[in-house]
Amino acid sequence: MKDIYKAFGEKEVLRGFTLEIRDGETLTVLGQSGSGKSVMLKHIVGLLTPDSGEAWVDGLHVGSLSREELYRLRRKVGYVFQFAALFDSMTIAENVGLGLVRIGEMSRAEILERVEECLQLVDLVGYEERYPSELSGGQKKRAGLARAIATRPAYVLYDEPTTGLDPVTKTVIDRLILRTRDELGVTGVVITHDMESAYRVSDRIAMLYEGRIRFVGTPDELRACQDPVVQGFIQGEPELLEATT
Amino acid sequence: MTQRMLAPFTALGGGVLKLARGVGQWGVLTLETGRALREVPIWGRLLLGQMARVGVDSVPIALFVACFTGIVLSLQASYTFTGAIPLYFVGTLVGKTMMLELGPVLTGLALSGRVGANIAAELGTMRVTEQVDALETLAYDPVAYLVVPRVLAGIIMFPVVTILAIAMGIGSGWVTALQLLDMTSQEFYRGVTLFFVPFDVRYAAIKALSFGFTVCSVGCFFGFTTQGGAEGVGRSTTRAVVVSSMVILVLDAFWAVVLL
Repeated sequence: MKDIYKAFGEKEVLRGFTLEIRDGETLTVLGQSGSGKSVMLKHIVGLLTPDSGEAWVDGLHVGSLSREELYRLRRKVGYVFQFAALFDSMTIAENVGLGLVRIGEMSRAEILERVEECLQLVDLVGYEERYPSELSGGQKKRAGLARAIATRPAYVLYDEPTTGLDPVTKTVIDRLILRTRDELGVTGVVITHDMESAYRVSDRIAMLYEGRIRFVGTPDELRACQDPVVQGFIQGEPELLEATT
Repeated sequence: MTQRMLAPFTALGGGVLKLARGVGQWGVLTLETGRALREVPIWGRLLLGQMARVGVDSVPIALFVACFTGIVLSLQASYTFTGAIPLYFVGTLVGKTMMLELGPVLTGLALSGRVGANIAAELGTMRVTEQVDALETLAYDPVAYLVVPRVLAGIIMFPVVTILAIAMGIGSGWVTALQLLDMTSQEFYRGVTLFFVPFDVRYAAIKALSFGFTVCSVGCFFGFTTQGGAEGVGRSTTRAVVVSSMVILVLDAFWAVVLL
């Protein structure tokens, strides 16, 4: 992503955001609530278009793709939404299989087999015929992850996958993110403000501050970083953040 | 001081701009709906389900409204005609009024409450819970998936429901005439067929078709543009019903000017 600017009315959210995500890595983007992390993520799949700047995925400039090309690109990307965004009127199995139905290359039996496989990966076997309203918050997030990986995407984008979950479920989700990387070989971008989670799942961590990247490096480099903004965030000390503004 | 004096004009100008923007956005969604018609694999398998929801499920309310309208029309006609006009004209008034006006309009208004509100609430909830974004990330065109089947279902099913409502209204008017007005079936039938022309049915169907398009596309528009949480969904639902009811009345006058 190169020099992206995005504003909603008067509010400038991204102000020269630049970040490169490497193949095969899991990169976490940290930032305070409302700092524009989800906005950044939505630019990757063309759900939002930048006011200026460019988002590139697989050598393709997202902003200049035709509708068909954009949909082709989206088939390579799985998106795990903050509140799962499961379709209320569909069962969990239908939710997970919907992307496969769209691609249209698999028979019904093959789709069911793939759905089963994905639900097994997220430990939701036996929940196929349930509706999202019958699931807990953690189960919904896992179902959302199963839906995102069902099409075997090359990239998975996680929008605050552990927010609002208890510590045990958080660990389960973190392990799923790692399994997804190790077993399916996907490149992951995780948005979070949960430091524990970030250290657990990341190959690299970036910090978004005031609309642009303030830091990017490995978890060890983050811990050693002397920038008061970065330290203020990871230690949860607002005084350090305020001192810099 | 000057600013206070200009305030009503500023508010009026703001309102007009908002209205123009809304109409423009609805026009864009309508064009998008036309474009998405070619995505048959996406909307094709959803159409029957929507036809059942928009049409079949609406039959009871439409028939209920029409039944009582027929009874009232029959009694009011007899009250008006007594002594001056032959009683078989009760059939004429019931038939013509149900076909040309009350059948389509009352059905349209009843369904704008049931169908339009339902669509706006459903799509609005999907919008605010990111389900529409989720569809996009799964490479589904949300207009093809959500809007096209609903609008097509409205266009197809509103005329069907309206024809049934007209039949019910005439039927209830006939039963009322037999039971309460001392008329015979032959007299009522004579009245209904006296000035009947097949165009009356076509006219009702054209109106119903345009009402179906209006109710469903306006419902989809307000659902799609919902912002905020539950309050936003409630606001969209109310607007969908109010706006589609108003457009139905405008279209009613439009078709009378153009076709009669």
